[in-house]
Amino acid sequence: MSKFKRAVLRIGLALIILLIFLSVYGAFIGAGRAKSFFNSLPLAVYWITLILLLIVGILVFRRLICVPWLLFIHAGCILILAGAVWGSQTGLKLQSRLFGADKIPVGQMAIFEGESENRVALENDDEVRELPFYLKLKDFRIEYYKPEYLYIQNRGGKSWKIPVEINAEFSLGDNIGTVRVVRKFENFKIKIEGDNRVPYDDPQPGSNPALEVEIQSPDGQVTTKYVFERFPSHIHPEDRFLLSYKRVISDYVSELQIVRNDKVVAEKNIEVNHPFHFGGYHFYQHSYDDQAGQYTILMVVSDTGVTIVYAGYLMLCVGVFWHFWLRHIFKAKKADGD
Amino acid sequence: MIYIAIAAYLLAFVTSMLAFIIRLFATNMLFRRIGRILYLFGRVLYLFGRILYLFGFAFAVFAYGYRWYDVRHVPLQNLFEVFLCLGMICYPVSWFCRRFLRIGGGCGDMLIGAIVLFPAGFVFNAQPQRLPPALQSWLFAPHVAVYALSYIFMAKAALQAVRQLAGQASNPDEKLLPPEEATYRMICVGFPLLTLGLILGSWWGKLAWGDYWDWDPKEMWSLASWLVYVGYFHFRYMFGTKRSRINSAWAITGLLVIVITLLWVNLSQLFPGLHSYAT
Repeated sequence: MSKFKRAVLRIGLALIILLIFLSVYGAFIGAGRAKSFFNSLPLAVYWITLILLLIVGILVFRRLICVPWLLFIHAGCILILAGAVWGSQTGLKLQSRLFGADKIPVGQMAIFEGESENRVALENDDEVRELPFYLKLKDFRIEYYKPEYLYIQNRGGKSWKIPVEINAEFSLGDNIGTVRVVRKFENFKIKIEGDNRVPYDDPQPGSNPALEVEIQSPDGQVTTKYVFERFPSHIHPEDRFLLSYKRVISDYVSELQIVRNDKVVAEKNIEVNHPFHFGGYHFYQHSYDDQAGQYTILMVVSDTGVTIVYAGYLMLCVGVFWHFWLRHIFKAKKADGD
Repeated sequence: MIYIAIAAYLLAFVTSMLAFIIRLFATNMLFRRIGRILYLFGRVLYLFGRILYLFGFAFAVFAYGYRWYDVRHVPLQNLFEVFLCLGMICYPVSWFCRRFLRIGGGCGDMLIGAIVLFPAGFVFNAQPQRLPPALQSWLFAPHVAVYALSYIFMAKAALQAVRQLAGQASNPDEKLLPPEEATYRMICVGFPLLTLGLILGSWWGKLAWGDYWDWDPKEMWSLASWLVYVGYFHFRYMFGTKRSRINSAWAITGLLVIVITLLWVNLSQLFPGLHSYAT
């Protein structure tokens, strides 16, 4: 091996070891600071050096060109790094200067139900930018796992988990009594009618999930309790049970339309793990109005560089599997055949 | 079921170790007839150990299958389920390595099986949980499963590296690879899986969180573990087997980083991040 080749290998190994230590350091400082650190100028120099060294390595080591799968592995790494640099905030700024491309890197947009929006608040500054099209939120909803459960605990520490089925009666044991869920509220409110306080399900915007529960003791005495999902359970001295109502979220769904020149050009339900790709951006379900469920918050991410990174992933994966697995399997099969 | 599997793995380990010592003693014995009887006894003990290992595997499979039925999704959501899975795949990995790669270490595999099942049985919370929205992806099962499989291969590689550092050689009768070569071969098998796990995780991150790399502590540690094996391959390419002890040190470091990635990141308060639900 020539001195130059040896030097390239040594520098490569040193850069790998350095990146191991930097990764460990990045893990300790937390995601936010690590992102800034790995996007800083000294690290930009590191990434570019690594890309250049990989290119030099491919040019210098004939084996990396003659063995296609080794080429796939190293070229894949170059594509991943290049795609990441191209799609980074610095990369987008550079594209803006060179080609006049003016894309929003990362931002968030809040859209109310029934309304259209095209303004995006950028992630790292107070600037608000506009998309060349509008997003209209038809509906936002939270879906829950079924069945939902009512949790009951008596003063002796015994507990029960009862599925919420309206008017179904559950026995807690001969000496304890029965329990029945009478009503379910999505937005529990109380109104005064004469001398009585009457609970009702308010159809107006808002969210206060609750259950009306009847507990019958063995002597036939019936007590009515209201159990709220949002408020911690409390127990009065006369109460025999601590009740709680918990639902597990299964999904957040934003029903969206893309509107351009007053025409609906696309429609899609955005869920977690199911983003929407349109006009050079990916839209993600990011957050929502947790008080009344009236608006959704979407994350808007530019798709610049993603295809290059994915191409790199594919090349790296194919190269690694072919080099370490498949070529040995084929070789063994060929040897068996001979 | 987990406790039975742990007990079976441990018993298998003890029995196999005993069989190994007896056979070693028998081959060096002066009295050939007694030596032959002892050797046969060692052989019987060895077979008994293998049966116990298989028995432990069957129980681990049963425990995993029952968990799957109970939680109604692929049980890879939290550390309890991941370690149960690791305990289950030890046996098939062990069999595969012996059958196709000529790599031994059966005794060590039994011990690995018991070690990974132990926290599932005694430490981690086994309370069934429903999948949060972020985990409801077709990438969830392959991402975690591929990582689990690669971790077992890398653990076996580290075990071979320890054998190499301890100066142990393979039994020539069994036609197995020497420890250094075995370490290399195990890493060659585990590395593509590690790469696939990293890439699937990155792809999934893009779909769920909007970025293929979030600089999350778990991601940083998994990148570090991948890079340690990249370093291993480059170092071994540079120096071959001339510096086999350093090669082995790379392999052992790789496993240490994997253990941190798998355990420390999720259990410690030092690394809050997007993967915190996996505890």
